[in-house]
Order: sequence, then C-alpha cells, then structure tokens
Amino acid sequence: MFELKPSTAVLAIGLVLLIPQHEASAQIVSRLEAGGLMSSTPGFLPASAISLTPDVRYDGQVLKVSARGSAWINGQSWQLADGQVSASVTTPTRHHLSAQLIGNASRAYYDELNQNEQIDAEARVHLVFSQKGGLWLETGVARPWRVAVVSAVDVAGAGAWTQLGGATLTGTYTNFAFTKIASSKDSTGAAQACSTQTDNNSCLRQSHFSDVQGTVHWEKSFFEINAQTGYRFGDNNDVTPDSRRWASASAVVWLSSDMAVVVGGGRQPANPARGLPARNYANLGVMLAAWPAMTEGAVPIEARASAISKFDISSAGTSLERVQVHIAGVQSVDVMGDFTDWEPVAMVQRGRDLWEALVPIGAGVHQLNVRVDGGKWQPPPGAPTMRDGFNGEVGVLVIR
Amino acid sequence: MNRRNVRCALSALLAVAMAAPSLLAQGPDPLAKLDTASRRMVQSLIDSARAEGLPTQPVISKAQEGVSKHVSGPVIARVVRTVFLSLRQARATLGSGANRDELTAGAAALQAGIPAAALIDLRHAGRGKSITVPLVVLADLVTRGVPRDTASRAILQLWQGGAGDADLLGLPRAVEQDIVSGAAPGDALLNRARTIPIRLPPAKVPE
Repeated sequence: MFELKPSTAVLAIGLVLLIPQHEASAQIVSRLEAGGLMSSTPGFLPASAISLTPDVRYDGQVLKVSARGSAWINGQSWQLADGQVSASVTTPTRHHLSAQLIGNASRAYYDELNQNEQIDAEARVHLVFSQKGGLWLETGVARPWRVAVVSAVDVAGAGAWTQLGGATLTGTYTNFAFTKIASSKDSTGAAQACSTQTDNNSCLRQSHFSDVQGTVHWEKSFFEINAQTGYRFGDNNDVTPDSRRWASASAVVWLSSDMAVVVGGGRQPANPARGLPARNYANLGVMLAAWPAMTEGAVPIEARASAISKFDISSAGTSLERVQVHIAGVQSVDVMGDFTDWEPVAMVQRGRDLWEALVPIGAGVHQLNVRVDGGKWQPPPGAPTMRDGFNGEVGVLVIR
Repeated sequence: MNRRNVRCALSALLAVAMAAPSLLAQGPDPLAKLDTASRRMVQSLIDSARAEGLPTQPVISKAQEGVSKHVSGPVIARVVRTVFLSLRQARATLGSGANRDELTAGAAALQAGIPAAALIDLRHAGRGKSITVPLVVLADLVTRGVPRDTASRAILQLWQGGAGDADLLGLPRAVEQDIVSGAAPGDALLNRARTIPIRLPPAKVPE
C-alpha cells in the first residue's frame, strides 16, 4: 500500500509550482547504436554478442526525458538486455542556484544469473559559476528488486565540474548505505558483524561504501572522448577486490552529422546494492543519430562566438525566421535580440555542428547577439555590426 | 535528528529552492529590474519619444538589452538617452517622412559618428528609395575602423550608382576579410567598392 509521507507531499507541491506552462526550448535526439560487445565476468566464460542500442532523448530547459535500451543477439535468439528510462526536472538558475529532481527506472542484464531491476530518485542542488563550472549536493534513494538487499539504498553525494577548453572535467563522491542479507560467517569462518540474525547461516547486515570517480569528456570537431576512473572505499565485506579501482573509456568518431563509429572498453565495478559483479567489457559499433527538424507549430526554440563558421537566417513560415549557427565542439548556443525582448533563447542542436532556433522576427531593422557556452555576447559573423553602447557590439539584420 | 527527519528537512529545503525562482520571477515590465532612479529616467525618455512621435521600441529595446547584459542602471539610462537623442536628430535630419527603420538606422549611423550631412546626401541621392540599408552598412563600416569621410563618400557613390541592397550588405563581410588579412580599413573599403558594378538607370533616349 502506498503511504503518503510528508516529504513526498512537500516535493509534489514543489513540482507543481515548478513546472511551467510549456518548455521555452526543447530538442529531441534519437540514436541507434549497432555493434559487437564482449564482456567477461569473474567465474564465467567471456561472452560476446551483437547488440542494438536505441536511445531517445528529449532535452528541455526544465524537463529532460531519456529512454535507452539494448537488445543482444547471442547465438540464435534476441535477448532484451539493459534498459533505462530517466526523467529530470530542473529549476531555472537564480543567484547561481538551481534544484533538480531525477527519477530513473532501469533494468540491468549481464547474464541469466545477473539481472535485476531498480527504481531510484535523487534530488540535487546545483551551484553554477558562469556556465564554466559548478558544484552539486545530492541525496536520494534507490530500490532494487530480485537481490539480497532488503532495504532501500540511501544515496548521498557531492560533485564538481568545470570546463577547460573543449573538455569537461567532473569529480564525484557518492556514498551508498543499505541493509542486505549476508552470510553469518565470512570465508574464513569468522562471524560477521550483523544487525539481526535471521537464521543459523544468514543475517541482516548494514552495508555501506563510497565511490570517488573522475570523468572527462572532450570533443573537438568530429572527435569525442569520454573516460572515467574511480576508487571505492569500504570494508572487504562490502567491496570486492576487483571493484576497488576501475577505469573505462570510449571514443566517438563522427563520419557525418548523422553517423559515427563508437569504440570503447574498460572495467565496470560491481554494484553490491544490485548484486551485480564487476566485469570487463569492450565494444565496437556504428551509431546513427537523428536530429528531428522543428515544425512551425512548435514553440519557438529554444565560448566562443568568434569560432562560429557560418550564420544563416531564412524564412520558416509566415511569422518565424530560422536562425542557424554552424559551430562544432560546443555545449550551448544562445541568441537574443530586440525580437526576443533581449531575453536569451537557447538554440537547438540539429547536427554535429548545426544549431538552430525558430524566432518571430518581423520585417524591419533588428539587432541581435549570439553567445557560445555561456560566453560573451557577440554579433554573428557576416552580419553588419554596430556598437551597442555597453562596450560591445551587436549584429544588425534587415528583414524584408 | 534521525534519518527520517533529515530526509524531510532536505525535501522541504529542495521544494523551497525549486519553488522560489517561480515565485520570484519578474513580471512582464521590461524595466522592472532597473533601480528606481534609472527606471524613472528611462520611463521619462520613453514618454518623451512617444510625445514627439518618435518610435519608442528602440528606446525600450536598448534598456532591455542593457538589463540582459547586466549593465548598471545609470549606464543603461545614459545609453538610452543617447538612443533617444539620436532618434530625434535622425528625424530632424531625414525629415518627418522617414519611416521607423530609416530612423532606427539613421540613429545608429549618427551614434557611430556619421555626420548628419552624409545622411542628407544619401536621402537626396536615393530618389525616393529607402536608405535603411546604406545607413546600416555605413554604421558597420565605421565600427570596423573605416574613416567616416571615406565610408560616407564610398557608400554615397555606390548608392548614386545604383548599387542594390544585396551589394551593400555584402560589403561588411568582404571588408572585414581584407582587414583581417592586413589591409587598412579605408583601403579595404575602396578596393571592395570598385568590385561592385554600377547600375545606373538607363539614360533617357532623346526624342
């Protein structure tokens, strides 16, 4: 029976107050990765499979939703493998602060013996510094099924990120605490520290461990790299030797705006809360990406502007203009002008180096600026310019 | 404090953090973020523009731009005043027949330091055509470092010679490329201007 707790009610009220009438900017990206996967788990023979991994993502300024799954063909039959549905709601940043609620439902599948499901929810408070770095604190709870864990898993942690050139560096500390059914004695026959004895051979044990992890994401032009490494703190009852340290990396080489080659490999640590063992893996595949075009009926969309290679503007119907910026290797592009009452509008990524926004620009003379990765507002390249009076410049558009 | 209380406290803190931005969001008043004195100054300039029949949108827009670029209120008020005075001078220069776009472009040209006489010459040479684009390009060229007199003469000659809007709008990018390549701004303009074909209206055949 569902029990409505005060904390749940408070969160629900916060959500109702938060969710706006509509998203000011949003984009949908869908990807399909097809390739080969090899993995090895201690105690099991190495396995290889052909995998198909579809991934759909909706990115709005407030709401983000993603769904990702994978299916493996191993021998003669297809096997529905990993899958995850995620949603997050983020408040606008005010005074460098924003809040985020994240919910996930996931299924993990290593093999017939190692598979289970989990739902989890997290809340984060972010402190952002000029889009170039930030910190967050998080707390959350996870509930796995079909494992020996008999309580919800309490999650608490903190993280920090910064952008250096084209790289984003992230460091996290996450603590996990839960109750699980464990053997009363360890492998040497010594009695385990248990909170409650369930029978002669097993007991309830409080487990906790902490992960420290660093990740780097770097991209330039048609090339992307993601790498991560981590270390796990905890006693030997909770942390297996093969999960003390781990590292993995992947590279994406874009052959065109819609197709890329993906290669990766490394070690994944065990997930004690889900009863999943550590494993080594390697994968090689091809990724197809789709960046659906916006329609006129859609809501107008949504650090280095001098690096913009091309700026275009064209009619997108009776009342909208399609503004396009060509620049690669950036995280965000914004446009603002007198036609937006000088409110920044986030552009939507439509390709590897193509960003686009539909904005209502009437006939006449208009002034505008663009910025990249939250940097300085600058006039778009190729457009006539004039001084803005504020020690900067604006671009000038003449719309017929 | 037990774990449940900690969770409730964190949840309440989070809910307040999430709700606060929505509750504190500014209303539709574009000047709401200005301090009282600056807001009063800007409002009086908007009222003056309206009373004189000048377009108010460029005045309001400049204030919004300043707010969005996190400029201090007194600086915004000073720049908005400059826009207002430029609009007033543009209408005095171009005449009451000038449309809103011409006034906006004329004000921008005057702010860039183009002499009023250059605007009058363009108006007379335009044979009734809108001079919005020549004024926009003129302001741009001066912003890029082309001497005012050189820019004014070159654009006037092109305009008198029948250059189209597309020809003129292509000039800023071309001149910028030459400047980046090392050319002096004035020379860059003159060289590029020579490449634009003159399209004088056909001479009247004597009867």
